[in-house]
Amino acid sequence: MDMLGMYPTFYVPYIGTAWVMGIIGVIHVVASHTSVGAAFLFALLETKAYRDNQPQLMTFIKRYGVFLLVFSYIIGSITGPGIWYAITVASPRGVGGLIHNFVWVWAAEWVYFTVEVIGVYALVYLIGKIDPLSHLKLTWSFALASWATMLLIVGILSFMMWPGSESWYMTGSTNDAFYNLNFFAHLGVRTGSMLVMAAVVGFMVAAGMKDRELKHGVIRMLAPVGLVGGLFSVMMFFYYLQTLPENARVMLKAHLLPSYAAGMMAVVAVASLYLIAAWARPQIVRLWIAVPVFTFIAVVGVWPEERMRESMRKPYVAGQYIYGNQVIARDVPGKEIVAEVETIAEKGLLKLHPFVPDRLRTVTDENRYEVGELLAKIACSNCHSLDPGAPLRSIPDKFRRSTDEDLIAAFLRGPLKHGAIPYMPRIDLPEPEIGAIAHYIATVNAAAQAGTESDTPVADIAPASGPSKE
Amino acid sequence: MDIGTIMNTMRDPAGVPAVPQLFQVLAVGTWVFHIAFVHLTLGAAGLAIYAFYKREAGPYWEQMSIAMTKVAKVGVSLLIVLGVAPLLFTQVIYDPQWYTSNVLSAGWAIGFIFTLIAGYCLWFAFYWGNHEGAKRYIGVYAVLSLALFILDGLIMHALAYQAILPDRWMEWYAPGGVVDTSGSKLHAIEWPRYLFIMSLSAPAVGLYLIAYADYFATRSDKTPEYRAFARLLGRTIAVPGLAVSALLASWWQLDHPAATGLSEQPLGWLLPGFLLVLAGLTAAGYQRLHGYAFLGIGLGVLALLAFWREVVRITYLTPFGYIASDYKVHADWPSLVLFFSTLAGVGGLVGGYYLALLYRAGRVQGTYTAEPPIARLGTAAVAVLVVWIGVFFVYGVAIWIRNALLA
Repeated sequence: MDMLGMYPTFYVPYIGTAWVMGIIGVIHVVASHTSVGAAFLFALLETKAYRDNQPQLMTFIKRYGVFLLVFSYIIGSITGPGIWYAITVASPRGVGGLIHNFVWVWAAEWVYFTVEVIGVYALVYLIGKIDPLSHLKLTWSFALASWATMLLIVGILSFMMWPGSESWYMTGSTNDAFYNLNFFAHLGVRTGSMLVMAAVVGFMVAAGMKDRELKHGVIRMLAPVGLVGGLFSVMMFFYYLQTLPENARVMLKAHLLPSYAAGMMAVVAVASLYLIAAWARPQIVRLWIAVPVFTFIAVVGVWPEERMRESMRKPYVAGQYIYGNQVIARDVPGKEIVAEVETIAEKGLLKLHPFVPDRLRTVTDENRYEVGELLAKIACSNCHSLDPGAPLRSIPDKFRRSTDEDLIAAFLRGPLKHGAIPYMPRIDLPEPEIGAIAHYIATVNAAAQAGTESDTPVADIAPASGPSKE
Repeated sequence: MDIGTIMNTMRDPAGVPAVPQLFQVLAVGTWVFHIAFVHLTLGAAGLAIYAFYKREAGPYWEQMSIAMTKVAKVGVSLLIVLGVAPLLFTQVIYDPQWYTSNVLSAGWAIGFIFTLIAGYCLWFAFYWGNHEGAKRYIGVYAVLSLALFILDGLIMHALAYQAILPDRWMEWYAPGGVVDTSGSKLHAIEWPRYLFIMSLSAPAVGLYLIAYADYFATRSDKTPEYRAFARLLGRTIAVPGLAVSALLASWWQLDHPAATGLSEQPLGWLLPGFLLVLAGLTAAGYQRLHGYAFLGIGLGVLALLAFWREVVRITYLTPFGYIASDYKVHADWPSLVLFFSTLAGVGGLVGGYYLALLYRAGRVQGTYTAEPPIARLGTAAVAVLVVWIGVFFVYGVAIWIRNALLA
């Protein structure tokens, strides 16, 4: 192996590509889960409208449907491909690995997605334009098709965590990858939570309705569905935790739960109380309460959940065989995939990476800082910001702003080289490359310290490129 | 390092799960529908704006503006969803090219998402305001929206074009040997190609208007005078629009590097030729031929464009030693069956049910009651989904038990 199939690197200062991906992802999850949940609420409400001859319920469905068209089918449908674009530029080999394992699954999801988009327009604009039974069939098929999109994408998302057994590595079969160990648990969490989100958004829509009787009737129907969904989601979440790999559990206990557990419990408490209160006293449902509750669920519930899922699968981005830094971590005999870690240890990234300029392939005193920066971007920036004080696991901060190159190099030669930290990739580099990275980090820290002491912006002190070690 | 070897090394090590030519056919075929809705949407948006500012000039402009605003609104949804498939299939066999191009202009790739959201929201704002006697200032929303859509088209064009210029990637990524990881530039635009493809929006909406006039023939609220107006307007836009597109197609044809030999290929010249033939046909037969026929012929022209676009890509990449059909294959039959059965069963029955309802209900004034075949189609749509989900779970649980409990 004289070359690795690596891509150029895209680096977003301060927040890193991970946050770009996370922000788009959270917007998409909120919009799409609300949409799928709402589809089932529509089906339930319309069944009641049809059976009990209560056509006034269709007024609510139309109102909610128009809201969904904007909220879910503009924002949701664009951020769906948006996640794809974001992971493409952040982890091209990661997304390539997923595409080449799951292309037919994604293609099947696309069929559902197309049907769903046509379906939502038909559902909203054909209310009152076609006979009720035909519309009821339309609504139920829309609900089932919407859920099918979730069924298909969750298999891929949960494979990103891990396959859960050796089967896929040996067979390479999409079946073994898709129906992985945490698939059903993950599906349960999302299926339950979508009903909670859809119920709360339903309150937002109902809040503006003039007909009090209709409004209260709708709220009394939505609230228990949301509660049952929430309870189911919480139960499945505890089961989900049991299906995680060891590296994820370590990350969860050491870093994630201390940060997010209180917020997540608060979300469960607030959502439950709100749904119970609305069920008991529908008149309390007001837009100025429903909107903050929904925002609270999105920011304190969904954002940490997505962040946790992203963090827990570290150091991998897919199937525990591709590291976040795009290096193939292990052999997958079923696909004839060969690990690259040992080759990098032997030859180094500078020799093997196709997108390293020739002038940087050999470390010299003149280019040490520049090489160190490039190597840090290639090997570390998928998970870490390189900027002091940045929110995405800042490397300078992780080294406590140390300017001691030997101390930094000792970490690179020790735990990192041997893969001793469960949630970090094994990065085994030749000595000159270790030295370059250590020099770069130490220089950035020195610049940051000088900036702090003199109140001079770090950017004005840190060399743009090529400072000598001396 | 040789860029051809680099590209072949960058291929995903898992290989592809079916013969590469299948993905090639699917990528080309699905792109036809995507680009058709791109053209219709841009054309309808442009006409909606023009008609909006011409409301005082005649009795039908306002009605036309409102109608085209709705067409563009639905069109954006469909062009997005229909764009997913060609994007998916393309990156199966052209992953090195597509991913590299995206990373090199990553800021624009991400910006595409947010500008598309902003553009679509602005169009919705215009849609809500565009009714009888609407305020003039709302037209600004539409103009801004269309400007963003045109920018998005340019971003997509640049990403596609950069992908077939691999010998320039390194100079873009590390100009002068200094690496730039900002992804802040669009590096290459081929204006003749971009302008030609965008120009097809005018004939697209022109031909659509002729079909629109025929579709509403059974609706008494769409008067014969309004339909005649739509038909004539369609011809007025389509004929010169097709001629301009033919000129731009010829410019693109002459713009290919001499080494590719593409400028001499007769297949490439068929595009401007067919566009001129269609212009003549529209000018002569717009009142005699059914409007749907024009749409069918238009789709045929787009199919030729999609095919030619793939020929261009192959011709650009072959000298570097990148041949899509060489991709390593690891066949995966179960997931292949999943896709094609879903396409036929769900796409056919559920999608077919929705389209049948929309088509029939749109042609009826008042409430449409489904005829027995459509009603049965509705029942089949629900049934096929229940069966699909049932199989999904039974099959999945069996695999899950085998791997999680028995392995």
